[in-house]
Amino acid sequence: MSKVNIKKGNVFLIDLTKCTGCRGCMVACKQWNQLQAEETDFFSGEGYQNPRSTSEHTFTLIKFREYEKNGKIEFSFYKEMCMHCDDPACVSVCPVNAFVKTPEGPVIYESDLCIGCRFCMIGCPFNMAKYEWSKKLPLVKKCDGCYSRIKEGLEPACVTACATAMDYGPHDEILKMAQQRLKQFPDRYLDKIYGKDEAGGTGVFYLTSEPFEELGFDTVTKRALPSYTWPALSLVPATFLTVGAGLSALTWITNRRERIEKEKNEKLDKQNSTESKEEQI
Amino acid sequence: MSAARSISNEFNSYHWFVKLMMMLVVVGAVSAIIRFVFGLGATTNLSDRYPWGLWVSFDIVTAVPLAAGAFTLGAIVHCFNIKKLEPLVRPAIVTGFLGYSLVCVGLLVDLGQPHKGWHVLIHWNLQSPMFEVAMCVLAYTTVLFIEFLAPVAEKFGWKLSIRVLRWFELPLVILAASISTLHQSSLWTFFVIAVDKLHNLWYNPLLPLLFFMSAICAGICIIILEAISCHKWMGQPNEDELLATLIKILPWTIGAYIIVRILSMIFLGGRPVFDTPVMTWLFAVEMGVGFILPFIMFSRMSIQNNVRFMGSAAALLIFGVIMNRFNVSMFGMMDPNEIYFPSMIESLVTLGIIAAHILLFVVIARHFPIFEHHTEPEEHPLPAYSRS
Ligand code: SF4
Ligand code: SF4
Ligand code: SF4
Repeated sequence: MSKVNIKKGNVFLIDLTKCTGCRGCMVACKQWNQLQAEETDFFSGEGYQNPRSTSEHTFTLIKFREYEKNGKIEFSFYKEMCMHCDDPACVSVCPVNAFVKTPEGPVIYESDLCIGCRFCMIGCPFNMAKYEWSKKLPLVKKCDGCYSRIKEGLEPACVTACATAMDYGPHDEILKMAQQRLKQFPDRYLDKIYGKDEAGGTGVFYLTSEPFEELGFDTVTKRALPSYTWPALSLVPATFLTVGAGLSALTWITNRRERIEKEKNEKLDKQNSTESKEEQI
Repeated sequence: MSAARSISNEFNSYHWFVKLMMMLVVVGAVSAIIRFVFGLGATTNLSDRYPWGLWVSFDIVTAVPLAAGAFTLGAIVHCFNIKKLEPLVRPAIVTGFLGYSLVCVGLLVDLGQPHKGWHVLIHWNLQSPMFEVAMCVLAYTTVLFIEFLAPVAEKFGWKLSIRVLRWFELPLVILAASISTLHQSSLWTFFVIAVDKLHNLWYNPLLPLLFFMSAICAGICIIILEAISCHKWMGQPNEDELLATLIKILPWTIGAYIIVRILSMIFLGGRPVFDTPVMTWLFAVEMGVGFILPFIMFSRMSIQNNVRFMGSAAALLIFGVIMNRFNVSMFGMMDPNEIYFPSMIESLVTLGIIAAHILLFVVIARHFPIFEHHTEPEEHPLPAYSRS
């Protein structure tokens, strides 16, 4: 297991072939973040996980997935959490900079700044920003990568709790570890690291034996999300100046014609009047 | 006592429709109070799946283009120098000012932390479309407010202010148009970030441009509808002749929008496009009924100078724009397994906001000189350059 290096960006490695579905990470996360318990229910559909989805009270969730393989029913687990993107949409869309990508890796949220517009929830490609719908003055809630622990050189609570499937450490080391596993056991893994390129690169890498779509992973664009909006936004000052200058020029031209005509008329008037005066004399 | 009587006299003198509006405003205000007392989660149908609902879709994303008439007309009259449309400018400014003020109200109701709304002013994030729109809406509401001061000053006969305002008129018109260009388009940059969420029928990188173009069309159509209804119900002069001039502009703007819309969908949009029948229907209605039909109506009108269908064509286009905004901000991101429907409180607040707009317009139109045709009075001499 590699060590946390607070000088470098750290990432998670979650090996789903090794996840036993014990949900120790969920419990550890609840404890560390002092999150209240949720009432759960039995539902059909995506799986038998409880609760149904991550929420203001649940930052990480082990999803349970059933699928068919060679005519047999198989199942798999999948840990859902904030992906701590390299260039996160939540950071770029927030009007007041409430989200910050820290150099240590985690994407954190400063609740003092948040105005509650919920744009981060629309922006996040993994739908990981949740809202405190139970509160009167709600804030955004999500996994903060246990930032307070990382700063002290400790692993995130969920990684510490996990006996088998999770590793945490500097980006390059973890990536090498993942690639090594893929090379070493090509028949155990699907040859892909989910999270490496998704949304322009994230801080959580997944390894699995089954197609990611079947496990319920969203197919997410490979481009960093802010790069979609930036082209339009970077045009803002130029547009402002162009429209302003263009309209000013247009106004000047259209009004000039009138003014010239008016001046001509006035001159004529004056000439006429002086002429008439001269005549009188 | 006499104050109360004059208020009740004023109240009684209104048409029943206006009284209905007053009731809706009161109901809306009460609903807004309930929303603040019990919180967003308890009073709305918003959820983690639908963080934005009716309030964003209508009160902000739809209301802003509907209030675009003020800057469009200002630019047409003063920059393109089509001076005969001048009488329409003031009602448009009043509509715009009301519209934007109510957008601000809608925004405050929707924010989870409204008391911190001012943070936008000090914690700038230039990467955020929301930041840009918020700043523009604030700036533009201020500009509209100053423009709106003109009839107020005239009503109370503040000569100096009238002169100063006149002097600022042109710079304000240009400023208004530039700011509007920015936020009318940036509103759609909101949804450019929803890469894999918004349906391909609507998602494409030209969204900001399209949003801007359709806002211009919507703004002009609102002016048309407004002029027609003021003539019909408020005893204002018939402006049909002026409107006919305005109508000559419309086929061009709508046509340009339709062309860019379809080309961008073919060449820049994602695939697949027509995979869900519901979305295809929504798109067909939006495009067919809301844009292409009024385009045909307006273009035939300008040839024959026939203004008979003007009102219905304008209404259709406005329908198209509203539909388009809802498709982008709500329907196009729907999950068929979990449909969002606005709650009672959400609907009542929005109804209240619409009613407040109509009501305030009627009251202002009654008490302030917004419909008088202005020939510049001699006692307010103007600086030469802005004389029209
Ligand atoms: S997964 Fe979502 S919330 Fe987490 S960093 Fe990325 S964009 Fe932000
Ligand atoms: S809800 Fe808060 S954190 Fe999210 S984008 Fe709005 S202000 Fe930023
Ligand atoms: S990193 Fe911390 S906050 Fe995030 S899921 Fe793990 S324990 Fe929870």
